[in-house]
Amino acid sequence: MRLLPFVVLMSAVIALTAGTALTLTPDGRPEPLLALFSGNLPPIERELLWQLRLPRQLLAFTAGALLAAAGGAIQARFKNPLAEPGLIGISGGAALSAALALQCGLPTPWVPLAAFGGGLAALGLTSLMSRPGTDGDRLILAGIAVNAIFGSLLTILIATLPDGSLRTITFWLMGSFANADWPQAERFVIAAPILLWLLFREWRLLNALQLGAATAFHLGFDVRRGGARVVLLAALATALVVSHCGMVGFVGLMAPHLARQLVGSHARRLQIAAPLLGGWLALLADWLAHSLIYPAELPVGVITSLAGAPFFLWLLWQSNRRRRHA
Amino acid sequence: MLEARRLTLRRGERALIDDLSLTAACGELTLIVGPNGAGKSTLLSLLSGLTPPTSGDLRLAGRDVRTLSARDLARLRAVVEQEPGWQPGFNAAELVMMGGYLQGGSRNGWREAMRLMQCDALAKRQLETLSGGERQRVHLARALWQLMSSGESQRFWLLDEPTAALDFGLADALLAEVRALAQTLRLGVVAVVHDLNLAWRHADQILLMESGRGAAFGPPGEIMQKDRLEALYGVRLAELISHDEQLRAFVPLAEPRTRD
Repeated sequence: MRLLPFVVLMSAVIALTAGTALTLTPDGRPEPLLALFSGNLPPIERELLWQLRLPRQLLAFTAGALLAAAGGAIQARFKNPLAEPGLIGISGGAALSAALALQCGLPTPWVPLAAFGGGLAALGLTSLMSRPGTDGDRLILAGIAVNAIFGSLLTILIATLPDGSLRTITFWLMGSFANADWPQAERFVIAAPILLWLLFREWRLLNALQLGAATAFHLGFDVRRGGARVVLLAALATALVVSHCGMVGFVGLMAPHLARQLVGSHARRLQIAAPLLGGWLALLADWLAHSLIYPAELPVGVITSLAGAPFFLWLLWQSNRRRRHA
Repeated sequence: MLEARRLTLRRGERALIDDLSLTAACGELTLIVGPNGAGKSTLLSLLSGLTPPTSGDLRLAGRDVRTLSARDLARLRAVVEQEPGWQPGFNAAELVMMGGYLQGGSRNGWREAMRLMQCDALAKRQLETLSGGERQRVHLARALWQLMSSGESQRFWLLDEPTAALDFGLADALLAEVRALAQTLRLGVVAVVHDLNLAWRHADQILLMESGRGAAFGPPGEIMQKDRLEALYGVRLAELISHDEQLRAFVPLAEPRTRD
């Protein structure tokens, strides 16, 4: 599919999803979309819409887009279709670090920075364990180990909190957009386009890296420095999301893959298509999390993992099949 | 001119490339031959600047490779590896265009590179639908476009076993094309090949390698001596010469001898 029809189609799908989710009444009945514009909404509903649902949707969409762009970039950097910010440890490190920062009473604006540091530290550990620059499956294995370590430490940390409630644990481990407010949404609406643009600008390098590090070098790219830049940007995007929304797994894996099936591997198209798909997936997952067992709410990561884990297995099966046929 | 002087690459105690010197001129086809494990691909990796030598001197167009950035190096040489990487979801034209990413060059120049490599009909095909040989040609066009768009006067095309995925007719045709391109575009081509007869037929110069060292270097007529090749490959050879003495071929015979 060409990029322009894809963007038009995706925009329509996103608008439809957002519109439906926006107008979902508290008892789960969808309100007709037109009521939104007719001015007939009761004040409480209007308040709900503008102060809760809209910032929540903006947060979900931009967070999903950032995770997808980071996933696409990481997959190209390590020439590994199974890589994603969560699987190679960035998310785990970022979550632990953010929780630590919160516990130490760091002011809120510093939490994303702490998450960023934690994400990078985890990534450094993963690379160290899998030898730097390797393309293969070792990176994933090392990432799983690092994630397990950070996940356990996070659970210990939360369990030792004086009011360590189950809610906080699930927020960090399974992710949620339920705490969204306007200041958060504004931060994302400003930061996301900048990060997405910076990642998009690397499309030539991302294309070259998909041929392998040696070929990228032969084409004239400084692989070490360029690769580090891409990973830093991906870590920054992931850390931003994790520090505000917890670990929303698998969006960074699923969205770039679906995008690749639809618009091909060219990074100039992929880094536009994947964020659109990622944003939509997060929006959809959040809506399902919000409405499936209404009035209770599921953590959004439960939905993304429920869809993402089988997707991951399917990818593994596909790559095995390809290897057998090669 | 590509000038390698006393190149050595050590890994621990072992010398993978040992005190090897080589010069390759623009407009000429220099072929590297030798038995498996002689260090041919390692040498090409050194010449490409990917692997830095332990000692020795390497100059491309008079410039010391150690002082060149990846980008500057890419203007002077393009490389096609033995098994060049590729990814499903790209078409052939998109792969070829990557050759010009950092160089600029004319907007549609990549088409000319594809035409010269006779793969322009494949431009819109997805890489996963191409055969190994077709994909090899697309990679050759990608590297050719890198050189065509560079604007340097001396440029080098380094190819690691470009004929590996081809049947013997196609392999012969490809080397003839590469040599013709070397002459018309004034490219210095250094390529690794396995087939002695192809090397004999197409090379301007041959480097014969043995255990990381240069066993002999010069024009094919001087290098391709039956006794020398028998000793190098550890196999008895029959030498066939056509009536007009224009063509020569070596045929390996059974019962390999032990190498001395």
